[in-house]
Amino acid sequence: MAKLILMFKDQVMQEFPFFRESMTIGRNPENNIQIDNLAVSGHHAKVDKVGSKFILTDLQSTNSTFVNDKKIVSHNLKDRDKIQIGKHVILFLSSETDRAEQSGIDETMILDTDQQRELLAKQGTATGQGIKKIGVLSFLSGSEIGEVKLIKKLSRIGKADNCEVKLSGLFMGDTAAAISKRPSGYTITFTGGMTKLKVNGQVIKDSVQLNDYDTIELGSYKLQFYQKEAESI
Amino acid sequence: MKSIIAKAAGLTDVGLKRELNEDSFSTDTKTGFFVVADGMGGHLAGEVASRVAVDLINKSYKKWFDSDAPEEDLFEYPDPSLSKIGNYIQSSIRLANKVIHEMAAENTDYNGMGTTVAVLAVMPDLIITANVGDSRIYMVRNGEIERLSKDHSIVAEQVEMGIMTDEEANQSPLRHVLTRNLGSAIHLEAEVFEIEPSSNDRFVLCSDGLTDLVSDDEIQQMVVAEDDPEALCQNFIDKALTRGAHDNTTVVSVYLSDIEKSKSDPFKKMGSLLADMLTTTQKATKLFKS
Repeated sequence: MAKLILMFKDQVMQEFPFFRESMTIGRNPENNIQIDNLAVSGHHAKVDKVGSKFILTDLQSTNSTFVNDKKIVSHNLKDRDKIQIGKHVILFLSSETDRAEQSGIDETMILDTDQQRELLAKQGTATGQGIKKIGVLSFLSGSEIGEVKLIKKLSRIGKADNCEVKLSGLFMGDTAAAISKRPSGYTITFTGGMTKLKVNGQVIKDSVQLNDYDTIELGSYKLQFYQKEAESI
Repeated sequence: MKSIIAKAAGLTDVGLKRELNEDSFSTDTKTGFFVVADGMGGHLAGEVASRVAVDLINKSYKKWFDSDAPEEDLFEYPDPSLSKIGNYIQSSIRLANKVIHEMAAENTDYNGMGTTVAVLAVMPDLIITANVGDSRIYMVRNGEIERLSKDHSIVAEQVEMGIMTDEEANQSPLRHVLTRNLGSAIHLEAEVFEIEPSSNDRFVLCSDGLTDLVSDDEIQQMVVAEDDPEALCQNFIDKALTRGAHDNTTVVSVYLSDIEKSKSDPFKKMGSLLADMLTTTQKATKLFKS
């Protein structure tokens, strides 16, 4: 069962289990929670149980009702919300089952974008995230090209004209291999031709995930894969 | 263009707790284009958002694809990391987002409406996936499962940053709070991935109604065990229903056929050349004989 706990200067005055549909708060004695203090209106506020929710409403009180330091007119109470009325605080504690029901809300919601930006900015600076990395192929032998940045989500390697990384050779496939940037990272896939694809000396017939400083061999070409910060490129 | 799609199917179910089905999907084996959308927003708004997204993305993608539209003609600037067709998809999602955003702003009934999308395009030499929100795209290749989508949710971002584990994310009360959807902001970027197709690849597009209840490992096992995509969709829906189906569940599954890999094999080239010569000689002999 949910509870309202009346407190004054961090001292618990009284606990009120929520066993009815509605609880009233005010200075008058007929209220369920009576607070005998001049800052409190006769009928100050009420809490209604609506389904699994508890809705707090200010009854146009003189000195207003606050939840977690914010003035409210009506408010959907969450576990451990602090209701401030005059100098008194009423702590709302939802029951285990209410909490389960509330957290089990399967309604999909969209985060407010300003809030999101703030949140992400905070976390981004805290964890040093937000730096985009880009894959690079560095030729170790077989070519004068030097380095190729993998700016595309899918880079094809082979002798066809549409390849991002063009290699020659009689047995080189039109597209011999392809490197794709996937949610899990960069993956190289053998796509065809007579030239074998090797990663760290192992023949690859399908796909393998690329890690920094892996060596890739295609015929006489030898390349090294690594990632660097996109900004520094 | 010869299709490399062997079979495909799609199925949606309202589930056991919801009154409305706010999911939408489309399957088109001819163009190899598949979309799943999971709408949100009260009354009929979620349904409208997901439907509009599926229809508009299909429409603009096919218009640009059929006319081989140059990238400058697309909606908003092209993304240099994507192929032209990848940009068709990115652009079609941006356009759908703008329309839904405007509908939501102009009509009070549609206030706050939005939708996720998961898109798969299959071509003989290219597979493109795109997603916004928490609808997912899975690929099962050589028996192994891989996600080809990135969830746009608070918990997924926290997992990526390493401050939360996958298990914690699945239990978190914030797991349904999205950071991106179609409808809530004027500008939108979809997550787009491009890969090479491989023989017998199998793809699953689904709404979170499935992934809330069925794990990646289970999805992998079920895909591997079922050779008929239609039966697979039904199996997934049944699984969700037996586990309470608190949300709408939508599944689209696409199975690729055997793809001939070594098109550039010089011996094969010579072989086919020889075959061509033989048939020509045969024809000539026939002609000569008659």
